[in-house]
Amino acid sequence: MTARRGHEAIRSLLALAVAGALEAEEQRRVEQHVAACPGCTAELAGWQELAGSLRRMPTPQAPAALVERTRARIEAQWVAQAERRWNQQLMAFLVLFAWTITLATWPIVRLASRGVASWLDVPYTRTWTDLVCYTVLVWLTAGVAAALLAVRQRRERRLA
Amino acid sequence: MTVESDVSRLRRGDPEALAALLERYQNRLYRYLLRLVREPATAEDLFQQTWLRVAENIRRYDPARSFEAWFFSVARNLAIDHLRRYRPESLDETDSSEVPREWLLAAPGPSALERVLAGERAGRLAEAVAGLPVIYRDVLALRFEEEMKLEEIAGVLDVPLSTVKTRLGRALEGLRHKIETEWRGGRR
Repeated sequence: MTARRGHEAIRSLLALAVAGALEAEEQRRVEQHVAACPGCTAELAGWQELAGSLRRMPTPQAPAALVERTRARIEAQWVAQAERRWNQQLMAFLVLFAWTITLATWPIVRLASRGVASWLDVPYTRTWTDLVCYTVLVWLTAGVAAALLAVRQRRERRLA
Repeated sequence: MTVESDVSRLRRGDPEALAALLERYQNRLYRYLLRLVREPATAEDLFQQTWLRVAENIRRYDPARSFEAWFFSVARNLAIDHLRRYRPESLDETDSSEVPREWLLAAPGPSALERVLAGERAGRLAEAVAGLPVIYRDVLALRFEEEMKLEEIAGVLDVPLSTVKTRLGRALEGLRHKIETEWRGGRR
């Protein structure tokens, strides 16, 4: 009875044995049993045949046009990514540049405005309003520059 | 060139590395996707999506892991998402379900299996594999066609090693049952 149960237990492991999915100890038990059991030897041969047939199934070939399309799409994706990165860097540079110009030139503008105001004999008191107007002007200029660059880039892309 | 060097060049956006990896994996990926979704048009669509996803996320790939396991897990996730969206019934089979009783009962013995396989036609075997639930097709493809180690398969499927073994056993039992009943019965 025990031998019969052992036999059944080994039989249930044969599929996993051909899949290489047994622990070393289980594998050893299977090998020992199979060596002495003609029924399990035949059963194992059947599983081995099935495993071999699975390994030998023909590989469907990916269509060449599909591979080519895939390559082209990835390369186009890389170009788009590089362009996005460039645009982000350009935008960061423009923001930095606009702030630098605003802050660096403001004292000069202020001095010049005062000179003009005193020359015209007008009292100069609107410092903060002037700073805001000046900042808006500088940023507008930077924005227009960025827009012109983007237009030029798009045109170049179309021509390429 | 090794896979590792191609992968590290791909991380730098080298088109030659892309060509080399495409060349190396194009047929294996297509075959794997075809086994999962069974329709060439869908497999082609997923093929493109897989490569695009790989190229997009290659910087997130951890070189300490096997590239193949990562690559096939990207493909598998896309295929499973597709099946979940368009054919949810094909994913009904779960690990908790028992092996159908007829897979284990009344097997006519190894000689019948051998006889059938001796006259095997590759197309008919592929047909029998295609008739299995997707979780079994998946594990059979990774083990016998991609020749992955069980640990790698566990990584691709994101399941414990014991689950991989269970699925492999059930997949083989199911395939054997199909072959013995359908082929022996003269069904083509």
